[in-house]
Amino acid sequence: MILRITVYLILAFLLIPLALIVLFSFNASPSFTFPITGYSMRWYAQIFSDPQLGSALWKSFWIATLTAIITFLLGAAASLAWLRLGRKGRTVLEILCITPIALPGLFLGVSLLVLASQVGVQLSMITIVLSHVVLALPMLMIAMRARLALFDPNLEEASRDLGASQVLTFRRVTLPLIAPTLISCAVLSFALSFDEFVVTAFVSGTETTLPMYIWSMMRRTVTPLINAISTLAMVFTIAIISIALAIAAMKRATNLSSRDVA
Amino acid sequence: MVSSQKTGGFLAAPAVTYMVIFFVAPSLLLFSYSFWTASSFRIVPDFVLTNYLSSIQSLLFLKVTLNALLIGLVTATVSVLLSLPIAYYLTYVTRSKLIFYLILITWFSSYLVRIYAWRTLLGTNGLLNAALLQLGIISTPIEAFLFSPFAVGVTLVHIYLPFAVLMVISAMSEIKKELIEASRDLGTSPIGAFMRVVAPNAAQGLIGAFMLTFILAASDYVTPQMVGGSSGQTTGLLIADQFRKTGNWPLGAAQAFIMFALSILIYLIITALARASGLTRSRKSTTILTQDK
Repeated sequence: MILRITVYLILAFLLIPLALIVLFSFNASPSFTFPITGYSMRWYAQIFSDPQLGSALWKSFWIATLTAIITFLLGAAASLAWLRLGRKGRTVLEILCITPIALPGLFLGVSLLVLASQVGVQLSMITIVLSHVVLALPMLMIAMRARLALFDPNLEEASRDLGASQVLTFRRVTLPLIAPTLISCAVLSFALSFDEFVVTAFVSGTETTLPMYIWSMMRRTVTPLINAISTLAMVFTIAIISIALAIAAMKRATNLSSRDVA
Repeated sequence: MVSSQKTGGFLAAPAVTYMVIFFVAPSLLLFSYSFWTASSFRIVPDFVLTNYLSSIQSLLFLKVTLNALLIGLVTATVSVLLSLPIAYYLTYVTRSKLIFYLILITWFSSYLVRIYAWRTLLGTNGLLNAALLQLGIISTPIEAFLFSPFAVGVTLVHIYLPFAVLMVISAMSEIKKELIEASRDLGTSPIGAFMRVVAPNAAQGLIGAFMLTFILAASDYVTPQMVGGSSGQTTGLLIADQFRKTGNWPLGAAQAFIMFALSILIYLIITALARASGLTRSRKSTTILTQDK
């Protein structure tokens, strides 16, 4: 009972500040105090008429999409490699593709900035995408490592012994086992990139992504407009996470089918 | 077998190449930068220790570094402590998907939005002050909520707690429920069961959760800057400024590596402390216990 109350109190601490942002985004007056005297959509109307915001949103969307695609392709190949490599190979893969998660964004941001300047590459949306992949790939590899640990290599062998071709084995055995985790991680990469701020601040040059735009607004003043943008960003994130979770939930079904094959 | 390893190497190549170019190379470059010199907006390859020496001799640097380490330690301690009940609840009491999803959503919900939320909550005209005024607890708004170490701590815990919870859950999920039940059957109290069964077995994972939260919080330069006011000066902000405003990149690089070295030092201290207190050693004895059964 005490445990449950503690858990709910901590959850309240996590959720109430976010809920208040949503609530005040509908406040008719620009003040942040209770009682709320009237509700309106005026802040939403205002953000939709802001062309700068639209452009920032659009850029973030493309950056996140490209990040997700590149992370997915690299991660898919690396995951298939993981199944075939020995201990040494796996260690190399782990050191390169998982350790960046233990480094702060600040460190990765400045080192990528130094690389770009040393090579003489102009900072642009491309440098932002390339940097976001460095953040997203380790997240995907951690999830995949946990997933692949459950993978029995004998499954592939058994399928081959039963006369299935290499392509058929891949399609019927390997793919169903790794696809849900891979795809849900790619979707999470999108969410990660869409919200990324620290690294982006160093490698964006003059490009303004959505978090950069929110940042410049936050620094100028506390405006109720930010409540509305934040609420939209949150709704968007929840939608993305729900998609990722729905895909990950397909695991159970594929587990069953793989058992049938085995 | 050999051909399968070959295919493996071939498949690993893209990711490995990518990370060598965009993770290993930049890190090494940053490291060599830390020995270079900057003179009149030009960066000259060199091999001097000036950047390191002048950093650790600067009183400002030492002060803000101490501040960053304290911020990191407090945030990591509070976050791990608060994640224990949630992780325990989700692992052993109920497998509530809803609570798990709520935590996942808060972790992925915008970083800047959460800073902004606390800024508005704690400000002079913020909700906390307004509520206290209306309740008659205070007569004038308290300005000290925002721009204080308290504001930095609360906001950082709010930001990194979901991450700590997810990691503590994965550390706890490896301990079987039967072990705890057995210990409870033998007459141990719930807290005793936690201390004697869960903590030793999850110790490695808990230290991992603590360290990652520490690294993220200690190097977070945006939150302290936005809600900490004068108490928000941290090494991260100093480093970030070197790469933006004043532009002494080699100095910034050296300071980044000092922070990196300090993180490793703290990891070593914590591991040693855990071993000395018997947390990580008694892990073995519990393992033997389970094998005997």
